[in-house]
Amino acid sequence: MAQLQTDEVSMIYAIGGEQIIAVDKVSIAIEKGEFVSLVGHSGSGKTTLLSILGGIAKPSSGSVRFEGRDIYGLNSDGLSEYRSEKIGFMFQFASLLSVLTAKENLLLPVLFKPSRKDADGKLHEERAVELLNMVGLGDRINAYPSQLSGGQQRRVAIARAFMNDPELILADEPTGDLDEETEADMMRFFSDMNKAQGVTFILVTHNTELAGQAGRRMKMVHGKNEEQ
Amino acid sequence: MKDEQTMTNDFSVLSFAIKNVKRRPLRTAMLVLAITLLTAVLVFALSFIYRVHASIQIMTSRLGADIIVVPTGSRGAAEDVLLENKVKSFYMDQDILEKVSKIDGIEKMTHQTYLVTLSSLCCSVPESLIIAFDQDSDFIMKPWLKGKIDRKLGKGESIVGHESSFNISVGLVEVDSVLFGNVFKMVGVLDKTGTGLDNAVFISDDNISDIVKNSDLPIKPGQVSIIFAKIKEGFSHRKVANAIEDSIIEVDAVTRKDIGRSIINTLRDISGIFSMTIALASILSIFLAWTVFSAVANERSQEVGIMRAVGAKESHVMGLFFIEVLLIGAVGSTAGIVFGTGLSVLLAKSFTILKNISSDLRAVERLAVAVIGFVAGTGICIIGALVPIRRIKKMEPLTAIKER
Repeated sequence: MAQLQTDEVSMIYAIGGEQIIAVDKVSIAIEKGEFVSLVGHSGSGKTTLLSILGGIAKPSSGSVRFEGRDIYGLNSDGLSEYRSEKIGFMFQFASLLSVLTAKENLLLPVLFKPSRKDADGKLHEERAVELLNMVGLGDRINAYPSQLSGGQQRRVAIARAFMNDPELILADEPTGDLDEETEADMMRFFSDMNKAQGVTFILVTHNTELAGQAGRRMKMVHGKNEEQ
Repeated sequence: MKDEQTMTNDFSVLSFAIKNVKRRPLRTAMLVLAITLLTAVLVFALSFIYRVHASIQIMTSRLGADIIVVPTGSRGAAEDVLLENKVKSFYMDQDILEKVSKIDGIEKMTHQTYLVTLSSLCCSVPESLIIAFDQDSDFIMKPWLKGKIDRKLGKGESIVGHESSFNISVGLVEVDSVLFGNVFKMVGVLDKTGTGLDNAVFISDDNISDIVKNSDLPIKPGQVSIIFAKIKEGFSHRKVANAIEDSIIEVDAVTRKDIGRSIINTLRDISGIFSMTIALASILSIFLAWTVFSAVANERSQEVGIMRAVGAKESHVMGLFFIEVLLIGAVGSTAGIVFGTGLSVLLAKSFTILKNISSDLRAVERLAVAVIGFVAGTGICIIGALVPIRRIKKMEPLTAIKER
């Protein structure tokens, strides 16, 4: 059984009386531990598909199954638990909360969990610091987003995606603001997480070189999926 | 680097909410101020109304009589004396005592005579109400005299109320003073009664004939000011009072329940004004809270979307916003309670209706008013914020993220 499977998933928006088909009957199956890249032109439906897979946008039709369970058959709380326990999101933008420090932004995913305290009664602080060290920001843990560069903010957001030890990372152009060297570091980091911990990756990118590093490539064209 | 890593900041939902509340200090301050003003008005109004009601209740429960009988048209003056500690006198002939005693249902009765001192003309004490009472029939003064003076007051002896200007001015007893040309020895101070008795000086009515002889008071020998009556069990107080008024044209009879009715009617008008003010202030505060939290919801929709995407439930989002609302409401309400209480104490003397009322709110009553103020102030804030918060928590995460 595939870890993640979609069955003719579609997303249709109505804008000003006109129907826009963002995702058109996409059926994919992704196995646990796969590293998949998703490429396509702007507006081809990559981000929408990623949002559907991550449980933050309900499709107009079709179903999404994670480990055999229809995620949109869950109620609102069940869907939140799915996102909290299974998914790590990296958005197209840095997506940090401006009033929180880098470390607090990392702690956000565990803040609302009932078992959010670790054995020491602290909020997984060590894990947050460890992840910030892994993305090269160990000296900026108490910095606010406004005190960080665009690239540093991106790295904080990348680190946050791993805070819940997710099984699936949905990354939407996560290295967009990074210089080449840092981008390469981040890709190594992703690769390590994929190989060492078996985390499944779906990486949206325009960068064909990055896409080439993935074990499997998919392309979105006008909302439809084409396996490459 | 190590130092920075070891720094802990105890990140919690509360600390997160506090950070959010602080991010727009001016806007938050405006809402806090609105809640402060609303709560202050509410606390002030409740203190005012509660105090007058409490005073009337205390007075009537401590009076010890079921009915008071006064000369026709003197009901207001009697209430002024009993409730508001005003210095007034009014008289009726003593034969009325006998007429009242014959009314069916009267169990026992006593009478008092009120004399007003005019310091510069007759007496060595500031303007006071001198109450001459009949020691044989008395049941009004007895409970308060018990333990203070375990004997009857002799001729030329007096006892002073707890708050009487005379007591306050001399600060001691066992001193001689001249009342209406007669020398009186002050032999004791009454415990606080919370009624008009606290401001008076008490003498036995044996002294009245001498006082009448030596002063220009408008009182004729044998006249009394007020009759206090106890009603037999099973008789309706109102029916007995009506029977007194029907059979004795020269008097008004007021039941214990009706004492202070005129003040309560005045109070009702004042309460109406207060209610209107509070209602308007509440509407404005709800509108302000709605406006502020609508703006907050719009500004932070992307953040809410991110929170939802990383696993926060609708209830978590709602909880976070509610803590923020509660913080603003709690700070505003607490400030309002302090402000309103302070105002009620400071301005109390500016209101004629309160100026002469001797009872003040007890700690437990003040606490009750504070709790009502806190719940109302915070509740208004919550009501105003409810719609924007519900709207944002219902948003699909992706929609919220896109609403920048």
